[in-house]
Amino acid sequence: MNDGPVSTFQFLGLTFSTANIVSATVVFLLVVALVYFTSRHLAMKPTKGQNFLEWLIDFTNGILKGSIPTKEIGGFGLYGFTLFIFLFLSNELGLFINLSLPNGATIVRSPTSDPITTLTFSLMTLMLAQFAGVSKLGYKTHFGNYMKPFKVWIVISIFEEFTNFLTLGLRIFGVIFSGEMLLGIIWKLAVSHGIATMIVAVPLEMAWQGFSAFLGAIQAFVFVTLSSVYISQKLEVEE
Amino acid sequence: MLSHLVVGAGLYFGDSIFYVVCFLLLMWIVKVLAWKPVTKMMQDRADKISNDIDSAESSRNEAADLVQKRQTALASSRSEAQTIVNDAKTNGQQQREQIVTQAQTDAQTLKQNAQKDIEQERQDALVNARNDVADLSIEIASKIIQRELKADDQKALIDSYIEGLGKQHES
Repeated sequence: MNDGPVSTFQFLGLTFSTANIVSATVVFLLVVALVYFTSRHLAMKPTKGQNFLEWLIDFTNGILKGSIPTKEIGGFGLYGFTLFIFLFLSNELGLFINLSLPNGATIVRSPTSDPITTLTFSLMTLMLAQFAGVSKLGYKTHFGNYMKPFKVWIVISIFEEFTNFLTLGLRIFGVIFSGEMLLGIIWKLAVSHGIATMIVAVPLEMAWQGFSAFLGAIQAFVFVTLSSVYISQKLEVEE
Repeated sequence: MLSHLVVGAGLYFGDSIFYVVCFLLLMWIVKVLAWKPVTKMMQDRADKISNDIDSAESSRNEAADLVQKRQTALASSRSEAQTIVNDAKTNGQQQREQIVTQAQTDAQTLKQNAQKDIEQERQDALVNARNDVADLSIEIASKIIQRELKADDQKALIDSYIEGLGKQHES
């Protein structure tokens, strides 16, 4: 949430937000821990951790297979898998951990409740789509696609790229940001008049937390699905 | 630097770079730690399963072949046994007939020999009787006529006499 004072610092002439850096590092470490502890003792007959990991890989591969032809998935599988667990944990992080500095600036929250994060991932996906299109079809065919079905269409095509970039990034940001904001508001309500409001607000808070957890999973799924759709669009020649 | 130029100075572009670097590093770590070994394991398992299915198929065929062979062997051994029994039966039959024939021949021979012997005995007895009768007649005649006759002449005389008797009997 960006409604309080924000802690920032400068490095190499760039402005960094402490909250984003710290949250991203936390999520990064969580993902590494997740894949590290579930991938120990790999065996032909999978056990607990391996089962979970294989299920997760099958799940993200399944999302990708929905739009990209199986033989062209290749490295996109890894991209989709990492993107999914990173976004999922990012979405869920702020629901359970929300730390603030004494001056009121948050330092740990969902990284995805900041548009800069989600737009970064959105941009990354679209750049990957461009790259995949060029490497598969070549520059001429790839950029030729922008001028189909006729040359004037290039305006709409470029505009479409821009809207794809915005909608992909802002959709997940909106859901997670509003979820966290509402959690904060309900919590303020809970502590406003002592025990009486606490009794009413705590179940509400828990319900909303559960719903947000669900939404976080859905948004991670939607993000990966749309990413694969945008990538697959660049992999085929338009008629 | 960049934030001075951009209207949305609230967006921290440093973060953007940090996220990209972070994500690429994470992708590499995930790849090394989990993605490669797990997908390899999944591929191995898929291969193993398909191999197992193939080998199960071939074992099944092998078993079916064995059953076929066994049945053939069983049928052939049964017919062999039948042949052996039949052979034994035929042999037995032949032997039986041979033995019976042999026995019949033997019996025939024995009977003939016995008949011959009996005939011989009879002849001998007849000859003895004739001789005895001749001797007796000579003795009697020599006593009666008291004259010595030569035994052989007397025997001829007796023979003619007995033949004369036989002829009288036949007539």
